[in-house]
Formats: sequence, C-alpha cells, structure tokens
Amino acid sequence: MTEETIQPKVLEPVFNHANGRLLMPETRYWPTDMWKSPWSLPTYRRGAAVLAGLILGIAGVAWFIGEIGPRLAPIYSLAEQFALSYGVPAFWIAVVWTFIKGVFVLLAPALNALFAVWWERKISAHIQSRMGPMYVGWWHGALQTLADGIKLFLKEDIVPECADKVVHWLAPVVVLIPAILVFAPVPFGKDLIYANIDIGTVYVFAVGGVSVMGIIMAGWSSGNKFSLLGGLRSAAQLVSYELPRTFAVLPVIMLAGTLNIAEIAGFQAGYWGGIVPRWFIFYPVVGQVAFIVFLIASVAETNRVPFDIPEAESELVAGFNTEYSGMKFALFFLSEFAYVLLSCLLMASFFFGGGAAPLPFLDFLPSWAWFLSKTLILMFCFLWFRWTFPRFRVDRLMDFNWKFLLPVSLINIAAGGILIWLLS
Amino acid sequence: MTKHAHAPADLKADQMFINFGPQHPSTHGVLRIALTVEGEVVMKGDPDVGFLHRGMEKLFEARTYSQGLILTDRLDYISATHNNLGYCLAVEKLAGIQAPLRAQYIRVLAAELNRIASHLVFFGTFGVDMGAFTPFLYAFREREMIMDLFEMLCGGRLLHSYVRVGGVAADLPAGWTEKCREFLTFFKPMLKDYDTLLSGNPIFRSRTEGVGIIGADRAVSWGLSGPTLRGSGVSYDVRKAEPYCVYDKLNFTVPVGKNGDCLDRYYCRMKEMEQSVEIAFQCLDALAGAELNPGEFMAKGVPKMFKAPAGQAYAHVEASRGDLGFFAVSDGGFNPYRMHVRGPSFINVAILQEILVGCKIADVVAILGSLDIVLGEVDR
Amino acid sequence: MKNYIAFVFDASWNTLKGLWVTLKVLFLPSITVQYPTEKIVPYARFRGMLAYDAEACIACGMCVRACPSKCIALAKAAPAPVSAPVEGQPAAPAAKPKIEWYTIDYGRCNFCGLCEESCPTKPKKALWHSLDYEAIFSTRAEMVRRWKRGDDLWGTARKTADGQLAPITDQIHIQSVPVRK
Repeated sequence: MTEETIQPKVLEPVFNHANGRLLMPETRYWPTDMWKSPWSLPTYRRGAAVLAGLILGIAGVAWFIGEIGPRLAPIYSLAEQFALSYGVPAFWIAVVWTFIKGVFVLLAPALNALFAVWWERKISAHIQSRMGPMYVGWWHGALQTLADGIKLFLKEDIVPECADKVVHWLAPVVVLIPAILVFAPVPFGKDLIYANIDIGTVYVFAVGGVSVMGIIMAGWSSGNKFSLLGGLRSAAQLVSYELPRTFAVLPVIMLAGTLNIAEIAGFQAGYWGGIVPRWFIFYPVVGQVAFIVFLIASVAETNRVPFDIPEAESELVAGFNTEYSGMKFALFFLSEFAYVLLSCLLMASFFFGGGAAPLPFLDFLPSWAWFLSKTLILMFCFLWFRWTFPRFRVDRLMDFNWKFLLPVSLINIAAGGILIWLLS
Repeated sequence: MTKHAHAPADLKADQMFINFGPQHPSTHGVLRIALTVEGEVVMKGDPDVGFLHRGMEKLFEARTYSQGLILTDRLDYISATHNNLGYCLAVEKLAGIQAPLRAQYIRVLAAELNRIASHLVFFGTFGVDMGAFTPFLYAFREREMIMDLFEMLCGGRLLHSYVRVGGVAADLPAGWTEKCREFLTFFKPMLKDYDTLLSGNPIFRSRTEGVGIIGADRAVSWGLSGPTLRGSGVSYDVRKAEPYCVYDKLNFTVPVGKNGDCLDRYYCRMKEMEQSVEIAFQCLDALAGAELNPGEFMAKGVPKMFKAPAGQAYAHVEASRGDLGFFAVSDGGFNPYRMHVRGPSFINVAILQEILVGCKIADVVAILGSLDIVLGEVDR
Repeated sequence: MKNYIAFVFDASWNTLKGLWVTLKVLFLPSITVQYPTEKIVPYARFRGMLAYDAEACIACGMCVRACPSKCIALAKAAPAPVSAPVEGQPAAPAAKPKIEWYTIDYGRCNFCGLCEESCPTKPKKALWHSLDYEAIFSTRAEMVRRWKRGDDLWGTARKTADGQLAPITDQIHIQSVPVRK
C-alpha cells in the first residue's frame, strides 16, 4: 500500500445538512472575536432583521384584523337570530354559546404553554449565550414544545410503589382545574372576556388559591421525602404570598372603585396632558410600589425562581413533582405556565391600562394586540428573573414576605388612601 | 415513607432520615450524606464516601512512573494539571531529575490556567446549587476557551497529561501565546460581571453569609487546605509556604477570608482567579523573554521507563482544591513500591459532619458547594 | 431603620445590576456550536481515536509497553527466510520483522498519547492519534479493532450481526483533515 492510500479519505460529511460545515481551528467561536462587533456577523444581522420583520408583520396583521370583540358581536347576533328562527329556546342558545366560549378559555392555557415554553427556552438560551432548540419546526425550533408534548403524552406514567395512588392521581387535576377556571373573568382585550363578573378580582385570587391544595397533595402522596418537603414548603410559601399580592391590588381597586377586572382596565384609558397614559403604574409612588409588590408576589405565587423553593432543583431534586412523569408532570407544567399568563394578564389589566395604547397616536392597533404585547413583556420579566437570580432559602423567603413585602403593601394601602384624598 | 433504608435506630418520631445522594443533583458526583432532619433543620449529617473508589493508589504500583502519570489525571479531573504536577514533582524528587527552567514556567502557566478553569467550574456549580443557572453557563463559556487552549497545547481538553516527569510533553505551539493573552485580557473584566451577577446579589449573600462557619482553629485542626482553609482566615498557600517550580519568582498575593462562612470561601476562589490571571501574564512575559531557551521543555536524557533509586519522596502542590500531596516510595524498580495521594477534597469533606448540624437543608447544598469537592479525588 | 432602608436600596440596586448583566448578554451573539451541523475540527495535537499504519509498523512492541491500560496487542510476523548468500554478491539485507496482526481495544484506551510518543518509526509514526472524536460503539466486541497487512486506516472490527470481522465504514466523521504525525 502506498502513502497516499493511507491518508484518510475525504468522504462526504455524514451531517450533510443544508448549512452543515466543519469549523476549522481558526474559526472557533470565541466571544473575544464575536462580541467585539456583533453587527459584522451576518447571522446576527439576519436574526435582527427577521425579528424586526416579525414584529412589524404581527403588528400589520393585528391592524388588519382590528378589534375582535365588536367583530364577533354581529356574528353572534346573526347566529342567535338564525337559531331563534328555528325555535331553539334562548336558554339553550346561551348554554351553547357559553360552551363555545368555554372552549376558548380552555385553549388559552394550552396555547399559552405551547408558546411560553418555547419562548422561555429561547430567552433562557440567549441569556446564557446559547441557541436553545433549533431543529424541530421550521424556524428556531418553533415546534419544539409540540414535540415535547407528544413525547410527554407517549411516556410511561410511573406511579411509585409507596405512593397513595388515588391522591397521587388526583393531585395534577386539582392543580390544573383552578388554573383553567381562573381565566373566566380575565379580559384578553376589549369585550374579549368569558364572564364579565363584578367580583372578578376576588374570584381570581380565591380560585387561584385552590391550586396549592393540589401541590400539597402531590408532595404528600408521592411517598418521597423530597416531595413531602417540597409540598410543605409550597404550602407555607403560597399561603404567605397570597397576602401581599392581594394587598398590592387594594390601592388599585380603591382608585378604580370596582372589583371588575375589565372595568379596572377601562378606568385607565386616556392620557395626562395628552401624552402620559393614565395607567396605575404612573400614579406617583403608590402605583410603582403596588406594581413591584404585586410582581414579586406573583413570581412567588407561580413558584418560579427566585421563589421556586417547592421545586428547588438543587436541594429537593424536583420537589413536589419528583415522582411525576409523563402527562401528569405535563399538567403541573401547564398549570405553572397558566398561572404565569394569568399574573401577566392581571398586571397588564391592573397596572398597564389593559388594552390602552401607551401613546395616543398608537391606538390604531386593536386593544387585544396591546394586551398581548404587554403580557408578553411582563412574561419576559418573569423569565428574566428566573434566569438571573439564585433561589431564596426557605426561612429568608418567609422573612422577605412578612418583614418586607407585607409591611410595604400595608403602608401602600394607606398611601393609596392619601392619594385618593389628594386627587379628589 | 414507610421504609427507611439505613435509618438510624434512634430516630425520633418528628425526625426524618434522608439519603442526600449518591443520586442527587448537587452532590457534585456520588457523595452520600445521611441526613437526619427535623422539618427543614438538619440534626445530623454524615458524609459517606467511596462510591467512586477505583483503587488508584494500588494501580500506581502496577504502572511505571510515566504510566502512572495517566492515572493522576483521573484523580481530580477538573484540575488535571495540578495532579500531573504534584506527581511529577514527587517522582522527580525521587529520581533526582531537574526540569529545565522553561518547562517550569510552562508548568506554572498551565497550572494557573487550570486553576482558573477549575474555579470557574466551582463558580458555576455553586451558582447552580444556589438556584442560579445562568452563571453556570457563563463560567463554562469562559472555561471552554481554556479548554481550547489546552487542546492546542497538549491535545487533551479535560485530562491533560501535559506535565511529564522531567518537563512538559511539548513546547508551546505557534500562536498559542497570542491566544492565551487574548483569553486573559477578555477574562479579566468578565470577573466583574460574575461579581455583579452572583457575589453582589442580595439573595446570594443572604444564603451564604454566616452559613457553614468554620473558625480558623477548627479549620486547622481538621486539616483543611486550599481556599476552604483560607476562607477561614488562615493564610496558608503551598505556593507561598514552600514554593515549587518558579512560584518564588512570581509576584502574587494570596486572598484570605475573614469569617470562614460560605461567602468567604466562595470569594477567596473568585479573588484567586484574578491572581491566577496575573501569574499567567507574568509567565507569558517570562516565556517571551530571551533567557529561557526556546526548545528546552524537557530535561535531557529522561527515558520512558526508568528505575528510581530506592527511597521515598514527598512533594505537594497547591491544587485548586487545596494542598495536594504525593508520597512515592521506591524499592529501586521500574514501578513505585507505594504511592500515596493526599487528596485535599477527601480531607475537606470530612468536616461536613461537624458543620452540617443545625443548618437548613438548603444550607447543606450551599456548604457542600462551598467546600468544592471532586469525588474523583475523594474516593480515588 | 436607617440601616434597613439603606439595605433595601443597596439590595435593589445590586439586583438591578445583575439584571443588566443578563440583559446585555441576551443581545450578544451566541457562542455555541450547533453540533451536528457544525463540527469543530480539533487542533493538530488533539488526541482522538488511535489510527494505525501496518506498513510503517516495525512490530517493535514499544507501544504495548508504553500503554498504561494494556489496550494494545500485536504479533510479529515470522521473519522472511533469508536467501542463501550468493557468491560474488553482497549479502541481501535481512528482512525487517513485520507485523502479523495488531489490535487496539478502544474500550480500555485512555487517549493519553504515550503509545504515540513511544512509536519509533520515522519519518511517520505507525501509531498516532487522529482527529476523529466521534467514535460510536454499540457493543464491546466492536471496540476491539484489528489490523492486518493491507487493511486501511481503521482496520476491522467484529460486528454484532454475524460476528465476523468487517471493515469500519460508518464511524469515522472528522476526516477531512488528515493529521499524520
């Protein structure tokens, strides 16, 4: 054999992907090169252009569609007329209509999870100089969550030997059902609301509080000591943080004079001096403090970092859902993201004017678009916190709540009273 | 919850026995801590080691001196160069070999780069233990550059086998010095970012300040070493106390903590990274100088297999985790008669049983993380 | 009280600074290598899968002695019979002892490079670490590679399907950069 045949043959690369390539030693990705002038990288420029195009495109679509609520009203009345002409009792029309709306409310957490999981993964990846999912779906792993969902559906459901089988089975259900029910009185835009009830705020906090039962059940029934600790931690945490969270909203309710979430959002329409929106976040001191307390308490309520002590990956393995697998685990996940969405929607309604445009000349976009974008920006804050902060210790967490958040929110209620007196 | 594997017999009714590891996300390997907890408070904690035991010290006896070097990589696999260096110093002392000056500078440079890499792993995993995941990725991003440098230098990314008996395996390749300088200048300001991200974070401070306090007396009496000891305010560093290689010619300080809590141990390592950058710059400057003979990276006439004269030798180095010692005994043959390793992690982990008592479960993770043990070295 | 307020402000300020660090990195380009589509070609000294050249090998056995984990085995070929010296002509040089077979057990290989360093053949080494880092084995039997005269760079290994020795075709990926030391 001669020398030439000994040399490795240059075969066709196995990874013959459309843009597959070998990185030669000179082209290692070193941040020293890449971060000096990111705009000189073609991929970076392309990514920025695609993002800008996406935002503009979605805004254009939103402008084209316009307000959904008023558009649906004639369709509903048409269908109602049609059904009435065939002699269907009005009661049954109302029932069917409620069910149809209910399906949409049911879809909200599911679709939200599909998007939010992908978004969280992308945001976390880019915060950590990674790329995140890149393969499933046509663009930057857009369908990764769907693939994960299918995987979770197909996975074996493992119930531990020493688990309390019934409670173990029931726990994800108890967590998820309130997480869906809670969306009933929450507006998604102008007239886009399932049940426009007057005690909306109270309803949301009351129903949302039920989920903690499911978490305790999950922790207790798993037959795992780490799960038990996680469940107990979450009981203490969620009950404590309910208080500042509710108290933070009180000034807003006092100012708006109503518990109806849609009306609170509607109260904030208009602009001071034609430029500063009359959102509660811009009410001096009271608004900002209320918002920050509500934001922190919401992060704690949704069990996310820095308040994720019930899950506490590095201490309790996975906390209350250690022993859950397959779809049961996915239900916990779904409810977590549903609560994140809920918190963001509530914050958008309470503090950011709901569907009101931030500047007067921007109101050509429909209210649901503003609602969604505010929700997304707030959701970004949740992700941002999660990927920046370490976790509280369980006793410091309680200290933080009882010694800082609660007094501050109580003082803030008084300050809200003073503000109302000043404004009147 | 009904069955307690290995639960102590004197468990009270309101106490719970938890097997913390060996399968646990934050035991940094396969350490088992048998915890007795009362709610969240730890009543008793016993570290249980040996799950990764490979009989290293016995394996040395069946290898020649140059083959044994390969085993040392696997002791503390995060900082392989320090292990190589300690072993080689012991064997060189035993066989009476003197490494050339240039090789000694290269050794120090490689060791300091490896110290940065090792402390970056500590920084990252400590962040993960605290629940902050992002510092982990940042640390590994920078560590990846060091790994690239090592790959260029010796071909191995994690297990280097770069330091050899009598010198180093190969001279610095062309273009390496520039790359190294590029990395060091990039890395120095990154340390500030790390401080902002983790050290300055109030949540992080509340979790580490005053947690797992080891007083200076206790640290000395337990035989701790490295940043774990220096965090307690004892300024003992082998590089200063018994300078090996060329550390006596280099200008650096040894950061020392005050209270001996997790924060001090953590911050000692962060400060050490800064010092390591300085040392690396000094080494690069010295290597660029003309007085070091360029091609001379290996002592002349060191065969692949050699007989060491009968006798014994002990050499220790300041590894990333502490005072790493190698004690070699020769009976005049090709293989060491006995090789003993003083692994700093093994000695540092012993104090766990004393400082875990009374802390929270979350603190167990913090204290364990701040000791920065590598189970490959603990179990050997 | 003053301390308390000072602490609150200090903590908030440090928290915001931390948030700024992560936000900064969010808008910087990612540095990860998208592995299956982008593959790093290692530096020249990289210690990848061992490659062996039966033609250059002189069957001296230095690598067998150097290996700390005893993963190399070889057998010398019987030296070719030296023809009887013919009157008036210089004696034919004795044939070099060559290799009969040579195996490497990748399951035991440390990738330390001692065998490569000890290989005495010049100008090219008979045994060297290639740049290939994508070795995939599904059975232990496959990990043992065997070379004979005439085998190519990667030799043959026992496949699971029929238990026969078959040439390696599907495991060598980083190969557009031949580094022969």
